Amino acid sequence: MSAPAGPLLEVQGLKKYFPIRKGLLRRVVGQVKAVDDVSFAIAPGETLSLVGESGCGKTTTARCILRAIKPTAGTIRFRTEDGRAVDVAALPRAELRPLRRRMQMIFQDPFGSLNPRMTIADIVGEPLLVNGTRDARERRRRVAELLDMVQLPTASMNRFPHAFSGGQRQRIGIARALALEPALVVADEPVSALDVSVQAQIVNLLLDLQDRLGLSYLFVAHDLSVVKHMSHRVAVMYVGRIVELAPTEDLFARPLHPYTEALLSAVPVPDPRRRSKRIVLEGEVADPSRPPPGCAFHPRCRWAVERCRREVPALREILPGRAARCHRAEELALQGVAAPSHEPTAVPGIASLRSAS
Amino acid sequence: MAEPILEVRGLKTWYHPDEGVVRAVDGASFELFEGRTLGIVGESGCGKSVTARSILRIVERPGRIEGGSILLRRREPDGSERLVDLVRLPARGREMRRIRGGEIGLVFQEPMTSLSAYHTIGNQMVEAIRLHGRFSKAEARARAIELLRMVGVPHPEARIDAYSFELSGGLRQRVMIALALAAEPRILLADEPTTALDVTTQAQILDLLRRLQAERGLAVLLITHDMGVIAEMADEVVVMYLGRAVERGPVDAIFHEPAHPYTRALLRSIPSVLARPRERLATIAGSIPHPYGRPKGCPFHPRCESARPGLCDRAVPAETRLGPRHVVACFLHAEAAESEP
Repeated sequence: MSAPAGPLLEVQGLKKYFPIRKGLLRRVVGQVKAVDDVSFAIAPGETLSLVGESGCGKTTTARCILRAIKPTAGTIRFRTEDGRAVDVAALPRAELRPLRRRMQMIFQDPFGSLNPRMTIADIVGEPLLVNGTRDARERRRRVAELLDMVQLPTASMNRFPHAFSGGQRQRIGIARALALEPALVVADEPVSALDVSVQAQIVNLLLDLQDRLGLSYLFVAHDLSVVKHMSHRVAVMYVGRIVELAPTEDLFARPLHPYTEALLSAVPVPDPRRRSKRIVLEGEVADPSRPPPGCAFHPRCRWAVERCRREVPALREILPGRAARCHRAEELALQGVAAPSHEPTAVPGIASLRSAS
Repeated sequence: MAEPILEVRGLKTWYHPDEGVVRAVDGASFELFEGRTLGIVGESGCGKSVTARSILRIVERPGRIEGGSILLRRREPDGSERLVDLVRLPARGREMRRIRGGEIGLVFQEPMTSLSAYHTIGNQMVEAIRLHGRFSKAEARARAIELLRMVGVPHPEARIDAYSFELSGGLRQRVMIALALAAEPRILLADEPTTALDVTTQAQILDLLRRLQAERGLAVLLITHDMGVIAEMADEVVVMYLGRAVERGPVDAIFHEPAHPYTRALLRSIPSVLARPRERLATIAGSIPHPYGRPKGCPFHPRCESARPGLCDRAVPAETRLGPRHVVACFLHAEAAESEP
């Protein structure tokens, strides 16, 4: 594989503001800064996870990248097949078509995202048809191949979605996403609606497909345990901003942002012998239409000092390959979740990715 | 140990749709003690929520309790105690209505749907408080404010006049808990109380439940699909699969000496923040069968690595006692127990 050097996707200063309108004239009285200055890059073959709690802007970020919504500002540079980088954020709709083949989406809800009146062959074959595979035999051959890839019996091709379990439907959604051989798959909570025993199968399948096809994933999730199993790197979002970006192992073992620390500490560990003293955050997530001055996390942060109330911290590189948006990142020794010691996993193309700051 | 406050024995709740039978709960037994938390855990279709509905006697048609008993130790006004079998009470009768929301407080997954959008939270709480005790309106309102303060709602004097949709998910769940405690229940039945919440909010609510339990000696019946929450909260655990309690025991035994192949497989397949990055998960083959396609014999046998043909696909294993409180329903252990002298 002669992968071009540099990232497949590079997001710089992405912003998405939603206007708040009021009154008879629907005048704009404010902005909800759903995504506010988000930057990251994804290498070929890499998984970057966007994590955070409801309303943090992770799904809005993903939707901007797919151009399901138009960003307010920023660039989204995506590498095309011939190695050029185009700005998805600036392209007119008509010119997005060829790019959309290379960027696909897997949804959370395997029940709502499949048309109940279409057979599996039609659902998985639809993107092929739309993109010019007119020959029905050729389409069926390709659908069979795709079903095989996601470990569904090819004989099930003529059945309808209702005949499948949640896990099988998620496989169908994955097969459909892979039909046009995308380079990037955006997966928004792809396993959170599934039962544990089925969730494990889908996590493994996504990992296997990535190894086999060299896919890049943008994985949007709230479940940090699943994120640990899926990602090379993790970006933690809070009130529209990335507060920390780091290789998975480092982020879990030694977080550099107090919010990451609290988030990790809140995850229940499935071992009653590890009932730990957890950090319970006070209060609630800030309102993105009226974020507090300074660092948006300061009202809930146990490390906050005067400076945090006044000055918005920048996302800075604190250690090589690790960025955090905290004035005190260097001086704090935050707790991670202890794990058995082992070698860190290699991150593809990480050396070329220093665009976090 | 003291007598259980609630004891469920061989509970069977079946649904009779137009064709066939769905054995939603098919032989579940467990005990709940004062000041302790019993966790019921399982994946979809395991019957954990129907078990809760059966205890509350709110199983909707075409469902019906077909067998077993649900023994509640009721406290009489004179301080004596009396055992009542909830299965034998009329579901809509006076006594059952006093128990539901009175002796047993309820917390559900989605507070948005369990709280009324048409009444302020104060009005709902005042109603609940006056329904289960003799209070004037003013007294009930003062008590409601006190309850809201106790569950950590900031500015309860102002929030009491808010509507549920004006509150965040975490606050709504706190209001739900305050409402559940309004009638001073001895049992709190919490069905997926933190499933709809973010992880830091979940930590707050679990903390709150633990504190309230310690302060009031509540018996908590916690129903969840999340093994992490169980490990965090439960003293005893019931693992359910397709309507059957396949294993039950102290939380440490369930997590560190799991005996049923399903419990073992389930624990192995949970993603963990302690895993190595990019680590593959152990999986359970196949998927949970459709309720109509319930397997014969042990319901787990088609997915079980240790299943023995001719045995597990024919007969339903009885419960085998492994320890004073650790019980498993699996032939692997039944034989081992029989072969011992």
